[in-house]
Amino acid sequence: MADERQGRGPSGPRGRGSARGGEKGGPRRGMFRRRKVCRFCADKIDYIDYKDAKMLLPFVPERAKILPRRISGVCAMHQRKLQTAIMRARLLALLPYSTD
Amino acid sequence: MSQARQYELVYIVSPDATEQDVADLHAQVEANVARYGGGMVKSENWGRRKLAYRIGKHREGTYVLEVFTGTGELTKELDRRLKVSDHVIRHLCIRVDEELRLAERTKARREADQQKRIARGLSAGGAKQRAEDEGGDDDQADRAEVS
Ligand SMILES: [Zn+2]
Repeated sequence: MADERQGRGPSGPRGRGSARGGEKGGPRRGMFRRRKVCRFCADKIDYIDYKDAKMLLPFVPERAKILPRRISGVCAMHQRKLQTAIMRARLLALLPYSTD
Repeated sequence: MSQARQYELVYIVSPDATEQDVADLHAQVEANVARYGGGMVKSENWGRRKLAYRIGKHREGTYVLEVFTGTGELTKELDRRLKVSDHVIRHLCIRVDEELRLAERTKARREADQQKRIARGLSAGGAKQRAEDEGGDDDQADRAEVS
């Protein structure tokens, strides 16, 4: 076991180091980005209320479009619930459909 | 089927309407809920609020929330009445009992899982703990490689 580790030793750290330096801004960048966790799962929120516009507001930034989950990190289940809540809130003019 | 259907109705009253108009609308909703054999659960007046966008010529309105149990016939009737009302500029009536029940179930299941995990003698954040342990092993491996 120890021998195996020793054998792999010299090339290991150096190989990893060069990959890190060489691919700056490359496809490996994703690996070093902090992994986002769905904030509704983390906060154990089971029901997303359309009446709470203040809570929904961060998910409709700038032009009032719904923030895609690849950016917000929200899981599929909660994104679906979020979508429904935002559509209801929009209908009741609690949230805008678009800005301008 | 055994459980009662619960609905949430939100309507926006024109800012031109008087307080009496708002009270009359609420009374009308209550009367219809009673007439169709439903029951009021909650009623809230959120007061006058700015609208996120213009509805007709209006930039603000008085929001009222009514929560009640009842039948599809009741909501159909309320829908019809609110649509023809001169004072109501927008309304939305949705069934909420199923979503609320689903949320309750999810919560109960999560709590049960938590209990089971504690019973098994694992910490509440079992998965996280394991990940940290593996991380520790990696560090040791790295040190071995360097020496
Ligand atoms: Zn989630």
